[in-house]
Amino acid sequence: MANPAEELQEKMRVLREAYALQLPEKIQQVEKTCAAYQSSLDEETLHTLHRMVHSLSGSGATFGFTELTRVARVLEEGLKNIVTRKSPPNDEEFAVFRRQISGLRQAASSADTPAYAPPDFMATSPAPVEAAKLLYLVEDDVELAGELALQLSYFGYQVRIFNRLDEFLLAMKTTLKVLVIMDIGFPGDQMGGINAMREVQQGRATLVPVLYLSALDDITARLEAVRTGGRAYFSKPVNIGVLVDKLDELSSIMPPEPNRILIVDDSVSMANYHAAILEQAGMTVKVVNQPMEVMEALREFAPDLILMDIYMPECNGMELAGVIRQLEAFVSIPIVYLSAEKDMDKQLSAMSLGGDDFLTKPIKAEHLVSSIATRIQRSRMLRSFMVRDSLTGLLNHTAIKDQLEREVARAKRQRTPLSYAMVDIDYFKKVNDTYGHPVGDRVIKSLSRLLKQRLRETDVVGRYGGEEFAVIMSNTDGPTAIKVMDELREAFSRLSHLVEGNEFSATFSCGIADVAHFEDAIKLGDSADKALYEAKHAGRNRVVLARGKH
Amino acid sequence: MADKLTRILYVEDEPDIQMVARLALETLGGFTVEVCSSGDEAIARAPAFQPQFILLDVMMPGMDGPTTLKMLRGLPQTASTPVAFMTAKVQPSEVAQYKELGAVDVIPKPFDPMALASRVEEIWASCHG
Repeated sequence: MANPAEELQEKMRVLREAYALQLPEKIQQVEKTCAAYQSSLDEETLHTLHRMVHSLSGSGATFGFTELTRVARVLEEGLKNIVTRKSPPNDEEFAVFRRQISGLRQAASSADTPAYAPPDFMATSPAPVEAAKLLYLVEDDVELAGELALQLSYFGYQVRIFNRLDEFLLAMKTTLKVLVIMDIGFPGDQMGGINAMREVQQGRATLVPVLYLSALDDITARLEAVRTGGRAYFSKPVNIGVLVDKLDELSSIMPPEPNRILIVDDSVSMANYHAAILEQAGMTVKVVNQPMEVMEALREFAPDLILMDIYMPECNGMELAGVIRQLEAFVSIPIVYLSAEKDMDKQLSAMSLGGDDFLTKPIKAEHLVSSIATRIQRSRMLRSFMVRDSLTGLLNHTAIKDQLEREVARAKRQRTPLSYAMVDIDYFKKVNDTYGHPVGDRVIKSLSRLLKQRLRETDVVGRYGGEEFAVIMSNTDGPTAIKVMDELREAFSRLSHLVEGNEFSATFSCGIADVAHFEDAIKLGDSADKALYEAKHAGRNRVVLARGKH
Repeated sequence: MADKLTRILYVEDEPDIQMVARLALETLGGFTVEVCSSGDEAIARAPAFQPQFILLDVMMPGMDGPTTLKMLRGLPQTASTPVAFMTAKVQPSEVAQYKELGAVDVIPKPFDPMALASRVEEIWASCHG
């Protein structure tokens, strides 16, 4: 049996629905009684009216109609005045009452929330993001295993090496989730790796993903590899870039950035409630209660989606959507209305003014979360074609510049540190000329992967053009940024790139500017660029911090 | 040490509020609740039910909360039973006024159904403290 609190929650839900159903009728009675009072000015009718409104104000929030309670309270105060002053209202006062009663109706159609139900009872919690960074590398060649593990560690993988199959089999008995890189041939058993995997996979509901390495490239081995859960088959010597590509794909090592939602709603309680639900689901939420402040929030918060109430003072949701759509940068941002509006015509007219979708209140927490997540996913995919660089998947030139402007504005306002780094691969033309463009592209990809994996999730990485990259490091001052970028420079220089049996390595130079010394994004960018030039000039393969103007 | 609170007489004219409060008190508080929809009904049923605690809505058609309280005080079974008012008016001056009438406390409306039972327990504990 559920615990009493849950049991009550469930019963409350039923009661809330019943209450909501009765509300229109109750408000109609208020309306009629008010009209009756206006024509009769009978004191008894006034008392009845007062009591009706009083009871609405006393019950609304209990059933999740906070706004109803608020409006009813205001109306009740007015009526109470009339009761105490013992003289009937004039026409003007009646007009105010009528307006407030229509306010009641509006509030009644917007059950904001199960007001007192804590969101954690309702919201779906996010699936835990499991960073499948752990790799088991099973390879009898000690030297090769060590070298592979080292290379893979540069890409953020944690590698455990097994030189013997029995050790690996023992470890697998207690391991649920892991990625396996398995050599096929072992001393004494040409197909030792495959046989071991067959044993491992037995009785497992989901197969352990395995990538096979093999010195022999024959069809029987490949077939057996597939049968034992093999996702890929690499002939030795292994091209580390291709191997990492496959690993990334299998482990989806990069956790997706959290969805960013901007909630625009004049009702603080409602906005906070929805924010709590979305935050529970792992989204990042910003709330704006003043519609006129939405522009600033848009620029700085850069939401993935706007969730907007339709009825607000000052300007309504549809007008606001119209204004947002006039700005080029926000033409494609999904705008979702959350409203009690059930009238299809009104819904449609809202959409024609730039809204993408209409969610009707009250909405279940899990529906809210899932419909928003789906819309963001779709729009991100579309947007990624516009703002992402096709080779690396990093932000492109325009996108990173936009982002820099936003982050600098925020850092200035909040007085938090920020550093901006420009990175350029050394002698890249030589790589292209010597090994060809496909190899050059692979070097670019490997640096992009390194930057993405080794930097924090909050850092923003972009491909500025050609072999040039840009990194925005929020909450990081110049000296710290130097340390971070210098470690990356080291790691990159240790990567070996393989071309037809030949190995080579590459380096990069980096210029960094600290926001504390420069007034805006343009000056910051220029200074980082100058520092990069200095680094190149001083012999490359180094990191230089731009000197401040003061 | 005070007796454990089990029997509550609850007077409220609004059916939906009645329902919520009753559920909250029974489900979360484990109390036995006698619900009356008017002051008259409360006066008729109180002697037999012998409540340990009374919850009274202030604004009711017919006999209001304060009048009901006076009448209950006239009955031997409820002459000294602790009474709390429930009301949407929670001006401090009004609270003082209700206490003068003999109420031990005032529970503001709208109330949080999840917290009602513990609020009642609190009041019960304070008047036996």
